[in-house]
This record gives sequence, structure tokens and C-alpha cells, in this order.
Amino acid sequence: MGAAGYYATVLLVYLGTDLLAAWGMNLEFGVAGVANLAYIVVIAAGAYTYAVFALPRATANGGFQQYILGLHQSFAVSVLAAAVVGALAGILIGLTGLKRLRQDYQAMVMLVVSLIAATVIGADTGFLNGDIGLSLIPNPFANLAPTTASWAYVALVALACLVGLVVMRRFTTGPLGRTLRAMRDDEHAVAAAGHSVVNLRLVVQAVGGAFGGVSGALLVAFIGGWSPGAWAYAETLAILTAVIVGGMGNTAGVSAGAFVVYLLLLQGVQFLPQFAAHPGLSEDLGWMVLGGLTIAFIWLRPQGIFPERRPRLGIARFATAGAPPPREEAGLGGAAAPPGP
Amino acid sequence: MSLFVDAVGFGIASGAVIALGAVGFTVQFGISNVLNITYGALMTLAAYLGLVLVGWHLSVWLALVVVAVVIGGISVAFNRALVSPLVQRGASPFGLIVVTVAAGIVLQYVVTAIAGPQAQTYGEQGNSSIGVLGMTFSVAQVTIIAITVVVMLALHLLLTRTQLGRAMRATASNRTLARSCGIATDRVSDLAWLLSGMLCGAAGVALAITVVSFDFTLGATFLIPMIAAAVLGGVGQPYGAMLGGLVVGLVTQITGALWDPSYQDVVALGVLIVMLLVRPRGLFGAAWSARRLLA
Repeated sequence: MGAAGYYATVLLVYLGTDLLAAWGMNLEFGVAGVANLAYIVVIAAGAYTYAVFALPRATANGGFQQYILGLHQSFAVSVLAAAVVGALAGILIGLTGLKRLRQDYQAMVMLVVSLIAATVIGADTGFLNGDIGLSLIPNPFANLAPTTASWAYVALVALACLVGLVVMRRFTTGPLGRTLRAMRDDEHAVAAAGHSVVNLRLVVQAVGGAFGGVSGALLVAFIGGWSPGAWAYAETLAILTAVIVGGMGNTAGVSAGAFVVYLLLLQGVQFLPQFAAHPGLSEDLGWMVLGGLTIAFIWLRPQGIFPERRPRLGIARFATAGAPPPREEAGLGGAAAPPGP
Repeated sequence: MSLFVDAVGFGIASGAVIALGAVGFTVQFGISNVLNITYGALMTLAAYLGLVLVGWHLSVWLALVVVAVVIGGISVAFNRALVSPLVQRGASPFGLIVVTVAAGIVLQYVVTAIAGPQAQTYGEQGNSSIGVLGMTFSVAQVTIIAITVVVMLALHLLLTRTQLGRAMRATASNRTLARSCGIATDRVSDLAWLLSGMLCGAAGVALAITVVSFDFTLGATFLIPMIAAAVLGGVGQPYGAMLGGLVVGLVTQITGALWDPSYQDVVALGVLIVMLLVRPRGLFGAAWSARRLLA
């Protein structure tokens, strides 16, 4: 297969896994208003889970890397396990958010959780091979010809995205979607209407975690390696930027955001000319532009390129006529929100 | 036993640096009510600015002072240009934290792009040592501890003995009330960012001196013990952060000596999580900080 064809499959797989991650993040933050700056941890949990489920025992490859389990399970079982562990990790992270702490304080705690998770995994060499990370993670199509295998994998990721989209609709639309959006806009109102905010938050983080877990598993089965360097806390910002740029709460918008951030920005910079004196300068540039983009959007257009569409029911017109603008507690705020204290 | 005593010595030395950083972090948060994650990247910037100055054959201590002033200025500019306008536009606390995280990443990669990813060093700062109660300190460590003590005393005097300090405390506890009493709260806020930036700059250079070899992740890594120290003392409370810095320094170094050095930051997190679960408002639990942190 030509290099261009191979590169195309790589980009498509990346795009698919990034879409799943961005949808999960959008469900948590964009739809339900649950700020999770440790989202990359659930992706990492999924990736590691897939690895230790799919890999044979640590001693099988001459013991050059050490890890727990090594169950040598099939692809389907391993991905399923990754989804479950991702959901559990999401719930665990969600539990730290249950303390009635201020929103920014919670965000800080999650950021620290993210930093610490990478430190712990990196420090413990017996658990998941420490900072060096895992390699030789099995690809389900390893016994096919390279071209066929790559395109088969693209098809598999596309299928996963399709399933993901159907599942995601279940949570972003209909009564449940409306309840979650209401929780984002006014938690107390939802509680007063008889919903358990705690349960809703945990459900959202479990589902978001499962999406992250599958995203990590699909990515790691394709690239074959995974180490703490791959899930620095900055990666969460990349997903968050995709959500913010695309339009929080709008699945289609967020998909466009993931396309812009991952394919145009983080992959696109690799086509810039390389400077011999500064290896890695183009990646640095990608991150600089990414950070700048986040700030620019929060400043200029917090609703994103494709803003969430408000439901257009006849009754809604009467309900909102003359009413004050919704509080933007969970959103990123903007000119509409009253100045904070 | 001597291992333990040495670890205590190291703990005090690293606690001094953590306290410098944590107090700066907490003073700015207490007054402006914005959690500034860019702080870590500013510290990295400070370390690299120090490197430039040391390259010009300045002594590290002079470099520390100069960098403190420069970062103080940058910190004020950062607030005026980015944070304060966003607050006025009514950005949510989470939006602000995302902005400071993003700004930190931009800054960190700007530093990397200019200075390169390789590890840097100021060089060894002399090898004479001073023994105190069986603990051995290098001259650099003693100087840093002395600087920290002097800065903390100065801050204490500023907060308690001057009009300005009173204005700062008033602004921290109730901004609206302070403003209606005729306090120029924007001016006080600028000053808090300046102070915070100066402490950040000093801590960045001091950290670079103590760890000897550093790279662009310096500040991001140091955020963990620093936030742990700030939370331990109650975010927004300078005295708490001083004590918190010392405790986190001691605990991490003793763990490092008696158990495994790679778990130092993990212990800092343990402290953080326990504090959040048990006493989210810090060891002292002042009433005003409770009001600020709990929704």
C-alpha cells in the first residue's frame, strides 16, 4: 500500500477515536455541565485495560515488559472490558466531584487527579510497565495483509462511531437529554423537579467514561503502544477545545470541532517545514495554537461555531418571553451571563 | 535514623520553596478569586529567565530578585489583559480555569520552542555545607530558607501592620463591602497579582537552584505539591500556605527517603485528597474561606 493510503487510514482511525472521546466529553460537559478536567484518565484507563486484556501473560514475550493480568482475550472482550473500566473510572472521578465544592475548585482537583494518575502509573514499573509503557499490544487484524488490515480497522472504528452516535442520541435528546441540559443550566431546578442530581451526574460520568474507555481501547489496538507520555493532562485540553470550538451541547458541532482540532491543528502542524535546530518545534506550535484557540473562543464565542439549538416548541416561546436569560453556571459564560461576585 | 534526620533537613529546604510558591498562589486567589493554573508555567518561565541571567554572569541570587520583579510585572499584565476582562464579561469559574490552563500550556510551549526540550542547569551553587542539629544543608538551601523566612515575615508585616495590608484583607473577605468602604479594589487586585507573580518568580528560580537540573515541565510538576500545600492551609490563606508548604515538604521528603522517591508527588496528592474529603476549607477552617469554596 502506498504511504498516502496508509496515512489516510491512520488519520481516519485517529479521527474516529477522537470523535468518540469528544462525544463523551460533550455529554459530560457540553450537555450535562459536569466539568471533568481528568477526562484523559478514563481514556488511559480504557487503553490500559484493553492492553492487559488482549496481551498474553507478561512472561510470554520474554518478560521484557511487566504488567498485571495479561489475559489474552479476544478483541471484543477486551474492548468491552475497556468500556466497563472506563465507566468505573468515570464514576470514581465523578465521586470526587460530589463534594459540594466550588466549580473551579473541583476542576483544579481533577487536574491534579490527572497529573497524579500519570505519576503513579509512571512510577510503578510492575503495574503497567511504568514510564516506558506497554508495547506489542495486539491488533485484531494482525494476520491480514497490511492494507486490508488497516482498512478493516477503519471500518471497525467507523462501526464503533456509528454505534456510539446511536447511544449518544439516547442521552442527548429526548426526556433524558432535556433533564441533563436542565441540570447544566440550573441544578437546583432539576433537583426541585424530583431528579437526583447525584445519580444524573454519576450516570453521565459513567457513560462519558465508557466512551473514553472505548476510544482509548480502539486507539491503542491500532497504534500498539501506550505510555504515560501519551496522556498528559494537556490532552484533556485538546478534547475540551474540540468541544468548545465545535459548540458545547451540539453533537454535530462537536464532531466538527474534533475534526478542526485533531486533523487540521494537531496533525496539520506536522506538514510545516522542520527546523533542524529545533526538533519538535511544529508540535510545540500546534499546542500554542490550540491554547490560543481555546482562549479566543471562550473570549469571543463561548457558544462555539455551531451553537446548541434551543428546542423550538410553541410553548417555549411563552415560557421564555420576558424571562431573564438562563444562568450560565455550568457553561463558559459570556456577555449574556451577569457578572460574578 | 540519620537518614530520617537528613530527610527532615531536605523537607525543610523543599518546604521553603513550596511555601514561597504556595503563598503566592493563595494570596492571588484569596483576593481575585480566580484559580490561576498558569502559575506553574510562569514558574517555568521564571526558571528559564533565571537561566538567561545566569548566562550573563549574574549571581543566582541577583537573578532571583530580578526574575521576581519581571514575573511580577508579567503577572499583572496577564491579569489586566486576560483574566480581569473575562471576569468582567461574566465568564464562569470553570471557563476561567480552562483559560488559565490553556494560557499555561501556551506559555509552556513557547518556553520549549525558544529554549528547546533538553534539561538545563544553573550549575552547582558551591559545595560547602552547614550542619544544624545533625541535619546538613547546602549554602544554597540555607539561603533559600532564609529568603523564605524573610519574605514570609515581610508579608506578615504587610498584611497586619499596613493600611495596604488591611485593604488587601478586606478585599479578600468581601470585595463589594471593601469597595463601598472606599478601597480601590482594582488597585488591590493588581497588587495581589504583582505580589503573587513576584513570589512565583522567586519560587521558580529557587526551585531551579534546588533541583539543579530542570526542563520545561518544572512548573507543571511542581503544581501538585504547591496546590496540596495551599489546600492544606485553606486556599486563600497565606499563613495556612506557609505551614502547608512546610508540612508537604517534610512529608514528601520523608516518604522519599524512607519509601520510594517516585511516590513523593503521590503522597502530596494523598494529603490533598484527604484534606478535600475531611476538611475542604483547610486545617484552620476560617469562616470566610468556607464561604468561598463551598458552593
